[in-house]
Amino acid sequence: MLKESILYESVGELAKRIESKQLSPVELTEAYLERSQKFGPRLNAYARLMPVEALDQARAADKDIHRGHYRGPLHGIPYAAKDLLAVKGVQTTWGAKPFADQVFDYNATVIEHLKNVGAVLLGKASMIELAGGLGYNSASASLQGETKNPWNTSCWTCGSSSGSGAIVAAGLAGFAIGTETWGSILCPSAFCGVSGFRPTYGRVSRRGAMALSYSLDKIGPMARSAEDCTRIFAAIAGHDPLDRSTLPVDRAAFTYSPAADLKKHGLRVGWLANLWKEYEPGVAKAIQAAHKVLPRHFSSVKDAVLPEGPWEDAAGVILQAEVASSFGDLIRSGRVKELRDPQGRIGGYANLTVSGGDFTTAQRVREILQKKMDALFETYDVLAAATLPAPATPLTLDLSKGLSFPDPLGAIGNLCGLPAISVPCGFTEKNLPVGLQFVGRAGDDASVLQAGQTFQHATEWHRKHPNLS
Amino acid sequence: MNKSQGQKINRREFAQRAALLSAALVPAGIAFSEPAAAVTTGDAQLPEGAEKLTAESRVEAEARFQQLMSQYGTRFDSEEQKSIRESCFGLQRSLEKLRAFQLENGDAPAVYLKPLVEREKKPQSAPAAGAVPTAAPKKP
Repeated sequence: MLKESILYESVGELAKRIESKQLSPVELTEAYLERSQKFGPRLNAYARLMPVEALDQARAADKDIHRGHYRGPLHGIPYAAKDLLAVKGVQTTWGAKPFADQVFDYNATVIEHLKNVGAVLLGKASMIELAGGLGYNSASASLQGETKNPWNTSCWTCGSSSGSGAIVAAGLAGFAIGTETWGSILCPSAFCGVSGFRPTYGRVSRRGAMALSYSLDKIGPMARSAEDCTRIFAAIAGHDPLDRSTLPVDRAAFTYSPAADLKKHGLRVGWLANLWKEYEPGVAKAIQAAHKVLPRHFSSVKDAVLPEGPWEDAAGVILQAEVASSFGDLIRSGRVKELRDPQGRIGGYANLTVSGGDFTTAQRVREILQKKMDALFETYDVLAAATLPAPATPLTLDLSKGLSFPDPLGAIGNLCGLPAISVPCGFTEKNLPVGLQFVGRAGDDASVLQAGQTFQHATEWHRKHPNLS
Repeated sequence: MNKSQGQKINRREFAQRAALLSAALVPAGIAFSEPAAAVTTGDAQLPEGAEKLTAESRVEAEARFQQLMSQYGTRFDSEEQKSIRESCFGLQRSLEKLRAFQLENGDAPAVYLKPLVEREKKPQSAPAAGAVPTAAPKKP
């Protein structure tokens, strides 16, 4: 039986044990499966565990490694994938009742990439129905029910990558894959105290992933450290001829570099002191402490201000118009009524009325914003701020009232396809994690990952984990 | 099966619905000169924040709502109708801000679709000796 502390180790640490044959993939997979079977249902973290398939993959990894065919740091590492990624022959529910029996006959490209490097798929992570694209007002807006936060099970994990956040935080797998259209990687990462990376739009293929918003959806890793995110991102990034939204070969691929190589030059940080109008006191305290750490480890830290404009409105209109297309059939047919959340059952109708002219205006505003942000990144390598102004919210909260504050950086980052990472930076007095986000220029994923790693070399917050027993 | 759920409707039903829809939309035109008379639906209260919209926007939001009700209204109870009306006014607030943003005519939309030609970089085989084009290039 493996010690719990091993199950909370980073991918890098686990990989060392596996490569040196101190730990076998089968042993590790069995231990994560046992823990997932014990805690997964309590947290509603999984849509489906795949023990048979996982153990088959683990045995294959064992065999490979013993033959001397070690494929790299993800070989034999168990992970979970958000239940909107197609896995051949396995139910992929998109977290929603109308798709509860959906089965694809192929793997999403991300799943294929991870299979090729020898990672072991433990199961599908629970999620908010249809990634929240039709609106929702409660944490229980999911086929799997509300996902509970491992730090405090009366609190929510945030969405829509709810299960991915819970699984990493609870040590149920080595890492997880999440997706973000607007906040769905960064928010669960902050609420769950894990490191979550949203890559530049187009760097990770979305083939086989549920499409919510064609120009906003991204896929990224959620893990125990920024360095782990870097390793996982290197495995899943790349041009995909089957997904024409991916960047060309030379701009999509990403090569992992150890932290020492990444730190060739210091980063200039633009600190967004006034990003959020109000902070919960516990969050403010943690963020102030994080702010004090930065000058010692980054080449400069200066106050920055975001450009002003109707960015959230543009993001909202684009999202609504694209959802009117991606889920137009579901709305028009009336099957949307099968969704669990009352808001989700009706939230999509107004989307049907967005005109082509207004959508195009929003896209024109988007282009202006992209240029403004590109200009801002002449001065700063990364922007930094609290990921959210509040910690994990109670499971019973009406989200329309309690988690509905303006999110300008979320709108800007997703409209422009900018890479971002959320890393743990402290805890509130109620022992709930607080996240710090770094956002970079489109295509400069390396600086964002470097910023996360630099912060984590100076702090220990990412090594804390909840007591589940 | 409920006819509102995707089934084809007959010509008569279509005419009835179109009449309903135009009844909802016609006052919008009139309203630009008389906005106060057209911004309410019966005795329905304006959704929160609607008072910040221009009269034209309020009419547009209401027309948006009426369009949805004419197509799908039978699916909703009164609370749901209220929420959808609020969504329509919420969308209108965003549209009003967007439309007020200063754009020049030449400000093009963000393009994320890559043109197909990127995939077609294979060198074309040279035409066979003596071959002639099937059609002469046309001048613009």
